[in-house]
Amino acid sequence: MADIAISARDLGKCYRVRGHAPPTLFGALTGLGRRRPADRFWALRKVSFDIPRGRTVGVIGPNGSGKSSLLGLVAGTISPTEGAVRAEGRISSLLELGAGFHPDLTGRENVYLNAAILGIAREDVRRRFDHIVEFAGLREFIDQPVKHYSSGMYVRLGFAVAVEMDPDILLVDEVLAVGDIAFQVKCLDRIRDFQRRGKTLLFVTHALQTVEEFCDEAFLVHRGALVERGRPDEVILRYLRSYMGEGGMIFTQEFGTRDVEIRGVRMLDADGRETGIFETGRPMVVEISYTARRPVRDAVFGFSIKTGNGMYVFGSNTQILGLPAARLEGDGRARLSLDPLTLMQGSFILSLAIHSSDHATQYHRREDWYPFAVRNPTGTLGLFHLNSRWEVPDV
Amino acid sequence: MKETAVIDTANPAPTETPLRVHPPARAARELLFNLVARELKARYKGSALGFLWTLLTPLFMAVIYVVFLRILAGPDVRLEEIVIGVFAWTFTVQSVQSGLTAVTGNANLVKKVRFPRALLPVAATAANLVSFLLTLVVQFVIVGLLAREGRFFSAWSLGLPALIALHTAFNLALAMLLGAANVYFRDTQHLVGVGLSAWFFLSPAMYNLTLLERWTATRPWLLQAYLANPLAPILTGYRALLLGQAFPWGWGAAVGLALPLPLLAAAGAVYRRAQRNFADYL
Repeated sequence: MADIAISARDLGKCYRVRGHAPPTLFGALTGLGRRRPADRFWALRKVSFDIPRGRTVGVIGPNGSGKSSLLGLVAGTISPTEGAVRAEGRISSLLELGAGFHPDLTGRENVYLNAAILGIAREDVRRRFDHIVEFAGLREFIDQPVKHYSSGMYVRLGFAVAVEMDPDILLVDEVLAVGDIAFQVKCLDRIRDFQRRGKTLLFVTHALQTVEEFCDEAFLVHRGALVERGRPDEVILRYLRSYMGEGGMIFTQEFGTRDVEIRGVRMLDADGRETGIFETGRPMVVEISYTARRPVRDAVFGFSIKTGNGMYVFGSNTQILGLPAARLEGDGRARLSLDPLTLMQGSFILSLAIHSSDHATQYHRREDWYPFAVRNPTGTLGLFHLNSRWEVPDV
Repeated sequence: MKETAVIDTANPAPTETPLRVHPPARAARELLFNLVARELKARYKGSALGFLWTLLTPLFMAVIYVVFLRILAGPDVRLEEIVIGVFAWTFTVQSVQSGLTAVTGNANLVKKVRFPRALLPVAATAANLVSFLLTLVVQFVIVGLLAREGRFFSAWSLGLPALIALHTAFNLALAMLLGAANVYFRDTQHLVGVGLSAWFFLSPAMYNLTLLERWTATRPWLLQAYLANPLAPILTGYRALLLGQAFPWGWGAAVGLALPLPLLAAAGAVYRRAQRNFADYL
């Protein structure tokens, strides 16, 4: 058990929700504001898990599912209503970026104050001070009151202090999306550095790509329960399939005249098995069953793929590929093959459309409808899988 | 999991000497020191005159009171008495006001970092204590210049630290109670504002006990009841210690002087209970 960094047992957090009128001291003292029974809201309930030391876990789930409460409970800033959570070692949380910065104090004074909040010896902060300032890129501003900082500068300094405090457990709540690109890259590098040194990380994020890229394991939290935990790609796929459009990040849409309707879609792997997880360099096949309610002479089939973060990856249709417009009548089936699949590891979303060749009529379009995951067993690196071949002289 | 070699030449990894982390008690002390320093720095940094303002404001108030009281009550009103009363009253008012916002004003900190929450009202009160001790030096000078009998400094070296400690305990109790109440009850600030105005007139800050003789001469119980307000014997105590005046011993003063300690114990218990859910309400 010595290797467990964070362990939770039947963890629960209940908030009291008190209608519109907040309680008043006047009411409490005079007994005038009679106490109404407060509604209870369980932000988290019966959550149990163990996270071994050195593991990076990503927590995903729709908004309001209890992710941040979970992090707060681990960090010890909110107290559990029931159950218990234990964290072994010193925790630094990147949910506290710039927390405790006082606007009237200079950057320098705030760094020392922040370190004191984390319990670090002053002399040790002094030794690392230059490094902190260098990392934040705030050399010329460090002796200015932080109220004059831009929000980016504020966050940079906060991040620099938090990571420089060398915690055993790092909690990260959606803060990596701040700062400019250069700083984000620096942050992610620093997080990889943490992983290499065997630290434990707990992430909360909506950037599914980041979970894919950094985490050993993903937790899916929904309505206050830990619904699923496991390999990031599987959990993300489950998340995308189950909770899309429920206040989540993905806004699915469906429209069209339905003269031709997409009835069913099967995603098949190389062996013709239906799956949601594909492999880089192997084929991926999408089978579309449709029904034409009236004969259509000018149908074009199209698809597009976005990453889990919403970045447009590729789009094409039968018209672009130079195929003649399809004549459709009654039930039928279309096949789309991506062979070999050149996407790299990650979560993706497929959109499908059937429209007229003059683009005047949208028969049926399902936008951001079909999530799938890609695993890359080849060991290649980068954005895309390029079908490369070497010819090397054999001496 | 994924092996990616990142060579960050601009930011080489820091020397791998492990950071020393203080044990909880030491860390709390260090943090308290830092919070007090933050409070004081922030307070004095805003204006060019800095600390001078904490001195000048009560001093001006005292002078204004004296001028008006001399017009209203006659020429017997002594500036040094009013100065002592107003400075000590200011210590309590500032503790109440900064205690009130000690938790809510640090919402960000409370919601996101784990540390002993009791440090917040303690730091707020401690910062005010530091201010008060500094103003005390000025009070000595003023009292030294104005005191007619030349009897000041008689017994203060023994009594003053104890009285200041008691006064501080009382202020801390108020800061803790109100700091916690302000998290849960939105109207605390308004009620406290009204309460402070009433309390100001019920405490001998801008007058001394002789003013009350008109009412208390025939009703001695009224004086005792009046003195059960801890600030009454505390403010009178400062005058007694600094100016060598008589102290109105009696059950009222005894109650007033004893009250801060059980109050502090109760405030500590309330605060401990309340702090569990601070983060939920902020």
